[in-house]
Amino acid sequence: MVEDRLLVWKFKRGSKDALRAIYQKYADELLSLAGNLLDDKAAAEDVVQDVFVTFVQSIEKFRLTGSLKGYLATCAANRCRDYRRRSNRRQATVENKAQRASREAESPVQLVICSEELQKLSGALRELPDEQRETIVLHLHGGMRFRQIARVQNVSTKTAQSRYRYGLDKLRSTLNGEVRR
Amino acid sequence: MRPAENIEKLIKKLRYKAGARTHEKILGNVLQALDEHERQTSGVTKPEIWRTIMSNKITKLAVAAAIVIAVLIGSHYFAGPVSVTTSAYAEIAQRLQNARTLLYTVTTTTPVQGMPNMVMEIAFKEPGYMRMTMPRGYVSVMDCIQGKGLSIIPEKKQFIEMEISNLPDDGGRRQFDAIEKLRSLPERADEVIGERQIDGRTVQGFRVTEEGMTNTVWIDPKTRELVKVEVAFDNAPGISGTMTGFQFNADLPDELFSLRPPDGYTRLELKVDGGEASEDDLIEFFRLWSSWTKDSTFPPTLNPAELPKVTMELIKAGKFGPDQTATTEQQQFDDTMTITRGMMFVMKLPAQSNWRYAGENVKYGDAQTPIFWYQPSSSATCRAIYADLSVKDVAPENLPK
Repeated sequence: MVEDRLLVWKFKRGSKDALRAIYQKYADELLSLAGNLLDDKAAAEDVVQDVFVTFVQSIEKFRLTGSLKGYLATCAANRCRDYRRRSNRRQATVENKAQRASREAESPVQLVICSEELQKLSGALRELPDEQRETIVLHLHGGMRFRQIARVQNVSTKTAQSRYRYGLDKLRSTLNGEVRR
Repeated sequence: MRPAENIEKLIKKLRYKAGARTHEKILGNVLQALDEHERQTSGVTKPEIWRTIMSNKITKLAVAAAIVIAVLIGSHYFAGPVSVTTSAYAEIAQRLQNARTLLYTVTTTTPVQGMPNMVMEIAFKEPGYMRMTMPRGYVSVMDCIQGKGLSIIPEKKQFIEMEISNLPDDGGRRQFDAIEKLRSLPERADEVIGERQIDGRTVQGFRVTEEGMTNTVWIDPKTRELVKVEVAFDNAPGISGTMTGFQFNADLPDELFSLRPPDGYTRLELKVDGGEASEDDLIEFFRLWSSWTKDSTFPPTLNPAELPKVTMELIKAGKFGPDQTATTEQQQFDDTMTITRGMMFVMKLPAQSNWRYAGENVKYGDAQTPIFWYQPSSSATCRAIYADLSVKDVAPENLPK
């Protein structure tokens, strides 16, 4: 926390090294967050870049009131939402599954562990409703509390907790179903 | 059935990673965006108010006012008689006790139209270093042990080398007055305000009043962090300062406090009086002002909130002499220092001094007309400055009501 404050302080004074340090500290975490939210590796890369570009463009007005990680995670979540909205509009008319698979395969962003179980889990996560997936990913990968997630989603804390619980239940039953089969 | 916590662990393992080359590419794009942003924000399309203010002798008054506030805030924190001790305060005081570096941001606001809020980042480091960063890359560094300072003006590629005289014997420790004052918080708060939300945090407020300054202190009772301090001045209604972003014991490298000027910059020099502002400083301010006005009159007001605005009106009315642009930059710095110290003296006078200013429309030279007077503590008489800038001790009943 103190280290982040100092990095921000230095960056506000023009230190590019401080910006590099912030990037190196959080880029992979944001990539995981965006990757799991979007299930689109190339888009996740774009989101991470957008988050940092917006961060540097607003640095004069930026005031660190909570955790830097929480701030960046919130930005990433918002970007992912925008991206989902745009891509829903485009839908499959522009890009079919084969095209997307090919683009995905070329992406330099990859899942770190690709065990069969994790592949299944990733697939199950993909099938969850957006708001449940977002709650789970923001909590487990963004390190955000339900209160913070509720604020991002503009719902009550209880609703965010329920979304998390329902999402986990679905994942569990999906995985157990796969195991039984 | 797979327990929920196992699922959570598995989800955490769903990590995505990019190779070094990809990160290099993204970071490169981010740095490029930063360069582009810096170009745009320093370009001519942005408001040039700072350039205007800093290049105009008279409008520097406004900047001087803001600096006065920052300096006063930095050296005159909390005081007051009534004791309110809370566990949160005790912990903050403990943290301060051990602080060897201190960072905070001061935002000063004035009611002057067109005068932007001034945001200054202040850093202290033991044994006696201070660094002040202002908008547009202005940076000042002071080494109070050596009595030296350096100010950098990037847009003019100039640096000002400062010789600081009259520093007290305790040298660098004086710069930590702020910390010493903060340490005494538990004994000095005189009013509990209650709870409020600031940036989503519930904070508790306390008010402390002394020597013409009202300080409102906000702390987070959960984290025991000092969140915000708001400072208002009895002698300058409308002007306020807000301190935020407190950090204690951050690792501040010595390079931040380096007195080495950047290569290729032009040198200017400035003698700085590091002692307490005194009556003599106010007299010098009066002398300077009356030399600027065509009719040798004194300023219409000493309220720092009003002075810049009134000054602009006087400029429009052609009340100042034609030599404003003729003086050298060096002279302008010296004048700014004179203004700053004169105003500091007035702002620091306690309410009990019953100070009065009666210099509006009075011309320099009249030995019978008092223009400013105040009663020093434990003195039966007042110190009165007359329009010829002489000073006399006068019984209060012999001064105008």
